Amino acid sequence: MTAQYRLSFGRVVRSEWTKLWSLRSTWWVLGLAGLLTVALASIVGWASRQDGGDGSVRAAVENAFIGVDGLSLILGVFGVVLMTGEYGSGLIRATLTAVPRRRPVLPAKALVLVAATLPFCVVVCFASFLAHQAFAGPAGDVTLADPGVVRATFGAAAAPVGLALLGLGIGTMLRHTAGALAAYVGAVLVVPALLGPMLPDRVEDDVLPYVPTFSGQAMYAVGESQTFPWLLSPGSGALVLAGWILVFLAGGATVLQARDA
Amino acid sequence: MIEIAELTKRFGRTIAVDGLSFTVRPGQVTGFLGPNGAGKSTTMRMIVGLDRPTGGAALVGGVAYARHRAPLCEVGALLDAKAVHRGRSARRHLLALAQTHGLPARRVDEVLGAVGLESVAHRRAGGFSLGMSQRLGIAAALLGDPAVVILDEPVNGLDPDGVLWVRTLLKELAAEGRTVLVSSHLMSEMAVTAEHLVIIGRGRLLADTSVDELIARVVVDRTVVRSPRAAELSDLLVRRGARVTSEASGQLQVSGLAVETIGEVARRHDLTLHELTPARASLEQAYMELTGDSVEYRDERERSAA
Repeated sequence: MTAQYRLSFGRVVRSEWTKLWSLRSTWWVLGLAGLLTVALASIVGWASRQDGGDGSVRAAVENAFIGVDGLSLILGVFGVVLMTGEYGSGLIRATLTAVPRRRPVLPAKALVLVAATLPFCVVVCFASFLAHQAFAGPAGDVTLADPGVVRATFGAAAAPVGLALLGLGIGTMLRHTAGALAAYVGAVLVVPALLGPMLPDRVEDDVLPYVPTFSGQAMYAVGESQTFPWLLSPGSGALVLAGWILVFLAGGATVLQARDA
Repeated sequence: MIEIAELTKRFGRTIAVDGLSFTVRPGQVTGFLGPNGAGKSTTMRMIVGLDRPTGGAALVGGVAYARHRAPLCEVGALLDAKAVHRGRSARRHLLALAQTHGLPARRVDEVLGAVGLESVAHRRAGGFSLGMSQRLGIAAALLGDPAVVILDEPVNGLDPDGVLWVRTLLKELAAEGRTVLVSSHLMSEMAVTAEHLVIIGRGRLLADTSVDELIARVVVDRTVVRSPRAAELSDLLVRRGARVTSEASGQLQVSGLAVETIGEVARRHDLTLHELTPARASLEQAYMELTGDSVEYRDERERSAA
């Protein structure tokens, strides 16, 4: 064929975009995850109206984004399956035959994952905050204009995207859906829960803030958390999470490049 | 043109492909034959870079596949008909592949038409029969209008209509000047499709030959003899160690004795012969003879390992 047809990174991204949106599961997962997160924020808002909250910005933000952990879990699984689904179905062989240098595939998937989930999470998180405040009524007399709220909302939107990228890295390293999901849940849920009891108290506060789950949570905290007073600042949390993402994606890229498909 | 040079692939302690060298030329269908597990699929996977060779090289048009700027326009490969996400429609699957190279959506519709899948283009590939999946895989292989087409067992699971369709397609692709490499473990299929044969066993090259040459190479060990005194002749031949069977009266199938000897025996005993024909081996026999050793050897090794 004529010379105009050739591989380019932009075209691989376009291809991945088509792949992402041509699966019904993408629409289902994002739709349900968004609804659940907003619904949870509304219920918690309603509950705090019954209980009479303390009206602080910290509490309003903590309550409004209580569903973000769940959103992170779902998007992480989504990131894992974005790659393992290709191995499970065998599609990876078609993908890597079309892109035999392989290197563009993972960055393209990561880019598409961010492009699809970040705007989605921003909408879900603003909706969660607004719904929470609406249901909280006078107990939640905090608005987007209060200091730190908009920043926290963007942080709450970015953290699940970060964990989705983490999942993509794990999925690319392990290739099998079940194994990768177990590893992801282990890294995000089990390790943070076990580290507390396992570590002596004097190092606990020096280690826990750097676990991906908690560095993600730091991104949408306002003021000092009562449950986790040792959380990093939002900026540091974002940097630490970015570091984890780089490590996991680099690991995935290495495996993708080296192993037979 | 595909050039395979000293290609080797080890998986742990097993050698799947062992110093394989051959060339696949354009303009003809080359059959890639060997018993199951001979290393055909692994060789094809190495050609398109899915498996990394332990040693040697596989070049397409003089260059490693991955180094081409538009790989899909160089090689179209069907390696696994099920290499499709079950939830994606046939058209979207092909579109995603086409987009990596900037191929237009129009090209996707063209190949869907070429393989006869237009009517199910929007159906999810998970519901496809094996035959439809094979057609989708072939559509993907043709997407970039490639100079080289590689198909791994393309007629597996196809009904007779489909088999005929693939056969015709392969010949058309070759007639257009493309390089066509088709694997199969069935000689009967290759006998009617391929002009050239590359036969491997246990990862090694057993034959790189035209179909006609292969037949000529086979040792003939069966002679058809007709004689009005067939019964007498049969006794004489058996005494000399031949195995003789008879399917029709007056006709003998003799093996274990050279044609010349049979003629001598008949002359010495003054028996008239109406026919003395060394039987032409079928391709199937030629193939069994070539690969028989490698299959048996593998069995022995497996037995001793067990």
